[in-house]
Amino acid sequence: MADIETFYDVMRRQGITRRSFMKYCSLTAAALGLGPSFVPKIAHAMETKPRTPVIWVHGLECTCCSESFIRSAHPLAKDVVLSMISLDYDDTLMAAAGHAAEAALEDTIQKYKGNYILAVEGNPPLNEDGMFCITGGKPFVEKLKYAAKDAKAIISWGACASYGCVQAAKPNPTQATPVHKVITDKPIIKVPGCPPIAEVMTGVITYMLTFDRLPELDRQGRPAMFYGQRIHDKCYRRPHFDAGQFVEAWDDENARKGYCLYKMGCKGPTTYNACSTVRWNEGTSFPIQSGHGCIGCSEDGFWDQGTFYDRVTDLTQFGVEANADKVGFAAAGVVGAGVAAHAAISALKAAQNKAQSRNEEV
Amino acid sequence: MSELIVGPFNRVEGDLEVRLDIADGRVREARANSPLYRGFEVMMQGKDPRDALTITPRICGICSISQSAAAAFALADAAGAEMVPMGAQVAALLHAAENAGDHLTHFNLFFMPDFARDGYAGRDWHARAVERFTAGAGSAVRRSVEARAELFHIVGTLGGKWPHTLAIQPGGVTRTPTASEKVRMRATLRGFRRYLEEVMFGAPLEDFAALESVEALLRWNTGDAGLFFEIAADLGLAEMGRGSGRYLSFGAYPLAGGRAMAQGVFDGSVAPLDTARITEDVSHAWMIGDTAHPEEGRTMPDEDMTDPAYSWCKAPRYGGAAFETGALARQVVDGHPLARALVDGGVLARVAGRLLELARLQTMMEHWVDTLDTDARFMVPVTIPREGRGVGLVEAARGALGHWVRIEGGVIANYQIVAPTTWNFSPRDAGGVPGPLEAALVGAPLSEGEQTPLSVQHIVRSFDPCMVCTVH
Repeated sequence: MADIETFYDVMRRQGITRRSFMKYCSLTAAALGLGPSFVPKIAHAMETKPRTPVIWVHGLECTCCSESFIRSAHPLAKDVVLSMISLDYDDTLMAAAGHAAEAALEDTIQKYKGNYILAVEGNPPLNEDGMFCITGGKPFVEKLKYAAKDAKAIISWGACASYGCVQAAKPNPTQATPVHKVITDKPIIKVPGCPPIAEVMTGVITYMLTFDRLPELDRQGRPAMFYGQRIHDKCYRRPHFDAGQFVEAWDDENARKGYCLYKMGCKGPTTYNACSTVRWNEGTSFPIQSGHGCIGCSEDGFWDQGTFYDRVTDLTQFGVEANADKVGFAAAGVVGAGVAAHAAISALKAAQNKAQSRNEEV
Repeated sequence: MSELIVGPFNRVEGDLEVRLDIADGRVREARANSPLYRGFEVMMQGKDPRDALTITPRICGICSISQSAAAAFALADAAGAEMVPMGAQVAALLHAAENAGDHLTHFNLFFMPDFARDGYAGRDWHARAVERFTAGAGSAVRRSVEARAELFHIVGTLGGKWPHTLAIQPGGVTRTPTASEKVRMRATLRGFRRYLEEVMFGAPLEDFAALESVEALLRWNTGDAGLFFEIAADLGLAEMGRGSGRYLSFGAYPLAGGRAMAQGVFDGSVAPLDTARITEDVSHAWMIGDTAHPEEGRTMPDEDMTDPAYSWCKAPRYGGAAFETGALARQVVDGHPLARALVDGGVLARVAGRLLELARLQTMMEHWVDTLDTDARFMVPVTIPREGRGVGLVEAARGALGHWVRIEGGVIANYQIVAPTTWNFSPRDAGGVPGPLEAALVGAPLSEGEQTPLSVQHIVRSFDPCMVCTVH
């Protein structure tokens, strides 16, 4: 793989200074919850490892994930992350168009066979043989399967790719289907949210590129470091919930005092995400801080749980320590996901080994 | 005569395919296909009307505030209510920031990178275009992404999160800004002005907004805008992709004292908008049904995809005619002298219309932040009726956006959305009249052997299409 540059080469080529690079490494370590001792490890990895190519494809979606991604406050993300992953192929942002774009996809797949990460934004609709989403004259589902075949791992960006999201809301007119129901033989990491927080996206991708493996996943296949706690657990309005102080109507006296939005339909108590800690738009705020309840956009099937303005009635978890796994044990259909996550990591390793040996043969 | 299919298009939002009939090195006929359908209007039936505030923004991650504002105004209309003045002002501020961000993205990430292509090597300006606008790597590209992220701190502060902001409601907004946040937003806007004046325009914004003629516009030689005008003059972009001269604007930013930019239709002169004259034709869309006013419209996909239809997009018409919508249309209807001078349309006119609006929006946003009364009410409770009809009309970055809702028995009985690109990229109607893009492409020149003709790329992108909004 000598023909592939290292991350550091790419960064240098983009004019990023050594000082900025080291700052990036230390902030990355912090963002990922790793100690200072990891900083040289990250730096070393980035100086020596070949850059991991990323192919980014779009199915039925609204591009909100890309939009969120490019607005990241991750240290120097505008320069570093974008150049690091280089988005060898990206429908929305790339330079080539039309047939040249299709050729670029094919080139990237062939050149980095078995070694690239496939990032999927949106999902394939399966009704009518997939005709509701056609790119390059073919149903998106075919492009997805084709690109997935030689990927070493797949990232399902956002609620669309992870769970189906809004287009899969009842009656799901196009039979929009999450990625893991179509691709079953690759490690898949779900990064749900509508969209996911930019720093969560860059954090996940940096982790995978730096350490060459999937981060620890929860039982639903989400990275535990970002989806391990409920929004409610770290919400700055939590004391008002505990004290029984609630907003009763929009812009009432209690709303101005910043009381809890539970009675306005806030889904924070049942939603696992990092909004209340990482926040949005470079750490500025998050929905609850804007006075609107959480709608639970990182949870499976959140569109069909009744109106967003009705309060959660099945609230049984009050402990701050409860996490998705513990709740997950009670939920049906996720048993075995932990095992699957472990298997996924092994599969990723196996895929790499295969890719390397193939490269050696060449 | 030969046929050429151009697509998939990148650097437009969503999926697009254009079929061209070519004769004598020029486009003779064009057909625009929106190949993506999700069925929003169908899945909204039977839902709590308030959920439209959450569902419709997901139509598009780029113009989600436009969708949420349209839904809020439609519900307010159904309830016979109005946003409180300060609520409307915050909604306008949120919406203006999104639109300004969109114009910035269009120019830097979607439109200008085409001039960095090898096909233009040898032109005087090519090296500079490569340095500034190479996709994903140009210096202007990076700087603009940064400037936009900073501008969106305002959206973060007022809306909690972007994309898919939840703060805009029928009675106002959920967020009451504080005095200190007002100061911070002012600082953010100062930073954005600095970016615009140093990088985009290279001169005071007021000077650009005061331009009145095409000659003066083409003499503008500072900033990235100046580079574009130099390129436009060299390549004849003023004549490329001319439009019909018919423009439609729902009027941007509804405030207590009226809309900040005028509402109306322009066909030689401005006339008041009469929404009863809007219809959606489905003769060339893979949809079942008849031409209907959006209030009575249905969305029933024709799963057999029968001819002569060739797109999922319906064909909206005003008084039976195709109308162009967008920043240029807004400025023409609003009566800005420069926009009136550019009324023949074309690639230069559409891009200049956006730059003009960007310069004007900055001043408007500054005014709205300065006059925020933090002690006022920002929202009043609005009760959505169990039976009712409502319409919400706003201006997204790309043009006129309308939501029509009918509520029966306390749930949504019908919901119809007509988006800007639905107007601009509509297929033919029953009379065979092409949509604005299709018409603008006719006559576009092709060089020998071009598979994805540069002229077609420029014309398509000059509309800044949003294909996910188009069909939804």
